[in-house]
Amino acid sequence: MKFDTRTLILIAAAIVINIVGGQIAHFVKLPLYLDSVGTILVGILAGPWAGGIAGLLTNLVWGLILNPVAAAFAPVALVIGIAAGFLARAGWFKSWWQSIISGAIIAVPSTIIAVPIIVYMFGGVTGGGPDFAAAYLLAVGTSLIQSVAFSNLGINILDKALAALIAWVVASRLPTRLTSSFGFFSYSKA
Amino acid sequence: MSSRSGPQSGQTALLFLPGDSLLHRANPLTSLIFMLWMISAAAVLPTIGTTILIVAGVALSFAMGVGPRVTKRLVITMLPLLVALLVVHGFLVSRPDFIPLVGPLTYSPTGLEYAAQVVTRIGAMLTASLIFVTTTHPGDILKSLDQRGVSPGVSYLIASPLLLIEPFSERAKAIRDAQRARGLDLTSTFKARFKALPALLIPLITLALSDLDHRASILNSRAFRAQKHRTVIDAPPDDRFQVWLRRVLIVLAIAQLGIPLLWR
Repeated sequence: MKFDTRTLILIAAAIVINIVGGQIAHFVKLPLYLDSVGTILVGILAGPWAGGIAGLLTNLVWGLILNPVAAAFAPVALVIGIAAGFLARAGWFKSWWQSIISGAIIAVPSTIIAVPIIVYMFGGVTGGGPDFAAAYLLAVGTSLIQSVAFSNLGINILDKALAALIAWVVASRLPTRLTSSFGFFSYSKA
Repeated sequence: MSSRSGPQSGQTALLFLPGDSLLHRANPLTSLIFMLWMISAAAVLPTIGTTILIVAGVALSFAMGVGPRVTKRLVITMLPLLVALLVVHGFLVSRPDFIPLVGPLTYSPTGLEYAAQVVTRIGAMLTASLIFVTTTHPGDILKSLDQRGVSPGVSYLIASPLLLIEPFSERAKAIRDAQRARGLDLTSTFKARFKALPALLIPLITLALSDLDHRASILNSRAFRAQKHRTVIDAPPDDRFQVWLRRVLIVLAIAQLGIPLLWR
């Protein structure tokens, strides 16, 4: 697998978009991650493998310079990029409503990968917003794995649907001279 | 021997702190493998062992001149996890050994033990990672990778975001301040904050992609991928002692992880 220079630059820009997007979510104090807009954008423009690499490297670079805990979730980010690319290949990023549905679909495999990491490595908590929902579900008698899965799936559906919508808005507004070099983007044109 | 990375280069690597300690001067691969050895030890040690590892790691960070930064980051990251783990495993997860505490409140001693085990394990792993990132400049890691024949494309994918993150973080703050000056509400209801997100994110993403074509042309005109490997002029120093130390640490890390599995 060898990417051309434009795709390499797109992946590098996506890594920055993901990390700074996470900081913006912190600015507005919402229980969202917003750290996968760049990954989904690469999936739409350049395909599943480029998207997967963008996700994987985001968390590894993030872990290297800002938050070592992020590196533990690198497999989750990889799956988000691959899923976005395959959904784009299937033509599920042609309109705003398809993008929202695609985001919700992406949330499912990403939660399936994230839950074992959260439960077995972090004891079921991450120190973030979903912990409150998980604690409530535990208090009403749900098991630990189910509580973590439901709370994270809920947040993930909202987060990934918004991320996919923003990625679609940006991709559909990019100038043709820029998108013409990404042949894969033709699958997402209406 | 002076540190390879001066204060100016340190400004872009957010957790790195310039210095002249043993770990600052060590080859980045030696530091990386030392971190992996600590992480493998944290994965298998009991609570008392991981606690000792955290104390030893923090002491080492102070000896290396990065103690305050490591300790601050460790506390900021671990405190919410500690509280959440104690509440979830001590009071909420159903266990057979619940003991009355106050009124209807009950707690589980085995749950608290499990919370302590998880929190010290993550704490030890985090301490190892923090020692590595505060004493090793990302630029030096890349030079080390280049020296070992990693392709220019892979080096670019790691180096470029490292250089861009800080300027873009500053731009994100500038966009936030500009939008707030125009009346964007970032402090009131959930709905208002949710609606504010596109106004903050879309200008930043557009900015990050605006010169994509230009950068591609510059890189292609410099033929940056013409050769399979890049030559490093000022490669991080290495010696036989560090080569052997790395080999010993790799064997120890594998043994630490493998022996408990065989024992079971």
